[in-house]
Amino acid sequence: MKRKILKGTSLLLANVMLMSALAACGSSKDKEEEKQPESTGNGTTTNETTQTAVDTTPITYTMLAADPSPDWNQMQDEIGKQITAKTGITLKMDFATDANKVSLVAASGEYPDIISAKGSSNLFVDAGAVLELSDLIDKYGPNLKKVYGDYWNRLKWSTDDEGIYVIPTYDGVNNTYFDAGGAFSLQHQAVEEAGYPQIKTVKDYETIIADYVAKHPKTADGQKTLGLSLLADDWRIMISVTNPAFQATGASDDGEVYIDPKTYRATFHYRRPEEKEYFRWLNHMNDIGLLDPESFVQKEDQYRAKIAQGRVVGVIDQKWGFQSAIDTLKKDGKPGATYGFYSVQLDDSTVDHTFEPTGFMGGYGLMISKDAKNPERIIQLLDYLASDEGQVLINWGIEGKHYSVNDGKRIIPQDIQDQKSNDASNFRKTTGIGLWNNYAPHYGDGMQDSTGNYYTTNFPEQIQKTYTDEDKKVLAAYGKSTWKDFFPSEKDFAAKPWGAAWNLPVPSDSDANIIYNKLTPIVRKRIPEIILSKPSEFDAKWDAFMAELEKNDVKKYEDEYTKYIQERVALWSGK
Amino acid sequence: MTRSPSKSKRFGTSMNDKLFDGTNVIVMCIVLIVTLYPFLNVLAISLNDSNDTVRGGLTIYPRAFTLKNYETIFAYQGLVTGFYISVLRTAVGTLLGLLSGSMLAFVLARTDFQARKFVSTFLALTMYVSGGIIPVYMLMRDLHLMNSFWVYILPGLVSAFNVFIIRSFIDGLPYALQESAKIDGANDFTIYWRVILPLCKPVLATIALFLAVGQWNSWFDTYLYNGSSPSLTTLQYELTKVLQSTTNSTDYRGKNITDLVTSVSPESIKMAITIVVSLPILVIYPFLQRYFVKGMTLGAVKS
Repeated sequence: MKRKILKGTSLLLANVMLMSALAACGSSKDKEEEKQPESTGNGTTTNETTQTAVDTTPITYTMLAADPSPDWNQMQDEIGKQITAKTGITLKMDFATDANKVSLVAASGEYPDIISAKGSSNLFVDAGAVLELSDLIDKYGPNLKKVYGDYWNRLKWSTDDEGIYVIPTYDGVNNTYFDAGGAFSLQHQAVEEAGYPQIKTVKDYETIIADYVAKHPKTADGQKTLGLSLLADDWRIMISVTNPAFQATGASDDGEVYIDPKTYRATFHYRRPEEKEYFRWLNHMNDIGLLDPESFVQKEDQYRAKIAQGRVVGVIDQKWGFQSAIDTLKKDGKPGATYGFYSVQLDDSTVDHTFEPTGFMGGYGLMISKDAKNPERIIQLLDYLASDEGQVLINWGIEGKHYSVNDGKRIIPQDIQDQKSNDASNFRKTTGIGLWNNYAPHYGDGMQDSTGNYYTTNFPEQIQKTYTDEDKKVLAAYGKSTWKDFFPSEKDFAAKPWGAAWNLPVPSDSDANIIYNKLTPIVRKRIPEIILSKPSEFDAKWDAFMAELEKNDVKKYEDEYTKYIQERVALWSGK
Repeated sequence: MTRSPSKSKRFGTSMNDKLFDGTNVIVMCIVLIVTLYPFLNVLAISLNDSNDTVRGGLTIYPRAFTLKNYETIFAYQGLVTGFYISVLRTAVGTLLGLLSGSMLAFVLARTDFQARKFVSTFLALTMYVSGGIIPVYMLMRDLHLMNSFWVYILPGLVSAFNVFIIRSFIDGLPYALQESAKIDGANDFTIYWRVILPLCKPVLATIALFLAVGQWNSWFDTYLYNGSSPSLTTLQYELTKVLQSTTNSTDYRGKNITDLVTSVSPESIKMAITIVVSLPILVIYPFLQRYFVKGMTLGAVKS
């Protein structure tokens, strides 16, 4: 019935009004769906110049998604049905779990209508398999333009081809982080016993650990207390051992390189003289016996087990790396052994750049095949999803069913919230909430719509709810409300014009990539060696490490990387 | 092993025999423990609360018993169709594979088949040279096997390796059998069906096991060719999806975590899945094996 109503074509604005008007004579369910305050918000912000009508005749598009979505319900979920009703579009999905299948489809020459290829997007663009979308978006995508707004230049393909092929759907626009989750963390009990001292430098950090270990050489259940444990299992060495080196020396996260903010010159970050001192500190921690001797041999599960047993006073890692161990500690009723996250620098001379914003970085998203029929319908679908109405639909669901509005505030009722957290997979499957995150252009956490509500269901106020009483006690002692408050705020920095170097696609056959593959094994071998050596040998070993990097063309790597960064800055600044 | 005591009684036991038996028992026990322990460990983890598993140190029994991991798996609706398709492809694939493999082997074993050498060489080539994944994918597409059940059966219908095993078994049978059957008026198909096939039971049991396990375990063909048809997906494919779903929901990288503690971890789900998929094979194996051993001795006595 709804489809029939919608068939009478109208302006987007009129469409919304028509819907709310006609829904009044529809079923009561429809009524609730349509009477969202956001609808009016949408209407006022919609670009009035879009004179194109939305065609809602049923049509099915095939789509290849580069990430598996096990709960995908063929659009038979509540949100899926709503989207079909609004746009007439049904998606027939095929999923890939690795780049193999994506390359197969690229090579086969028969493309699905919509392609999400993640890192393999270039295969389709180079083959001319996908449409250049600038004109289509100009004509049919006012909401897309609104969402990407200031970052329009960042959608462009390359300096040689400034067309738009990919509509980024993975990253949220203007996403903010509400809390800090790394890298330097300390057990609450240790901080408490030390009397909540100032924690600013690695020396402060070390003192707390040393004092606690001296007082409690064994845990309550008789196991040896470990001062500081690191994880060097495969790529995790970067998160737990090497990335903290630049974080503690006032550099922002650019992956394996450091980018000079003025000259855009790239340096393989280990070659920064400051970082040598950070590794010297780790070497010193090992020398005085505070570093877990198993740090460089343990596997991830062994590492997590130690933390879950409450034996490790200090952990240098990102919180997501040991979240499950923290959960276990909470469940076991050991909140004192859970962790607080502090901003720690090598010395007072640097500022923690952890929250230096990258700005929206575009990145992975959807492409439209050159063989797709009526590609404008796909743009209209994405435009609908990008509208305020669509954003609320994919994040919150349907009003009256999945959330309610009290005094203009969107609230998720407790029973729905319980389903969402206890029966997550079925909830996703029946409601569709959470299924569209990677398929729709979307705002990030912390963005508010015209009604003052957050677009996503994650918002800063909720962070407090996840804290235990122990967390709150420690925070209160420092006069802070979140761990993030220990860090310089993102407002203190300007967004980096190159985004982040780690998200720069480096061609796999480039010299930079080949050299990088030679450098990585050297780093992963030498860094543990250096940390575990005697302090008297440290300098000699470090010099040998530097010489080895140079012998393996690290300078050429840096030069190439510099070139990429400068090209990106040029492209993204629109000059 | 069961036979050795009666043997030793009949021939009298010497010190050496006792020593041998003793060592044998000890070595076998060690082998048993070594092979059984990982399996029991997997079972224990699958039945253990995942928050507790994180603490490590689990051996062969669960510390905090829960069925939550299995509940999570079986909550997926796709599993029923998946199971049905998996059983179907295992049955059909094994049967047709045996039939076509043994037929080809029978023909190749016949010395009066002119093109014998050529076909054998041609077949052997496929063992060493493969088309590569992209050409195969394109071939399947052009054969219209995408989104069809037959993509599980047809491409692997004849496996050169299996054919050679069966052929060498038939080679071992006296050719006189076929000749005398021919004199009795049997045509080629009757010889194959009534004479050769019954004698091939032991080798067929082995091949059946290869084929069945292969069919049961494969998921990559589902993934490549039938990923977009939910009615044709296999159990293994559905289970990989379950695993991915839990992995996704516990991947907190770059996300604002506002939901509280999760109750299952990918590790525990992985273990539960391992148990779920290996159980049917474990149940069927003893039956097949008994038949297989019987067939072996049967053949041995006859020849």
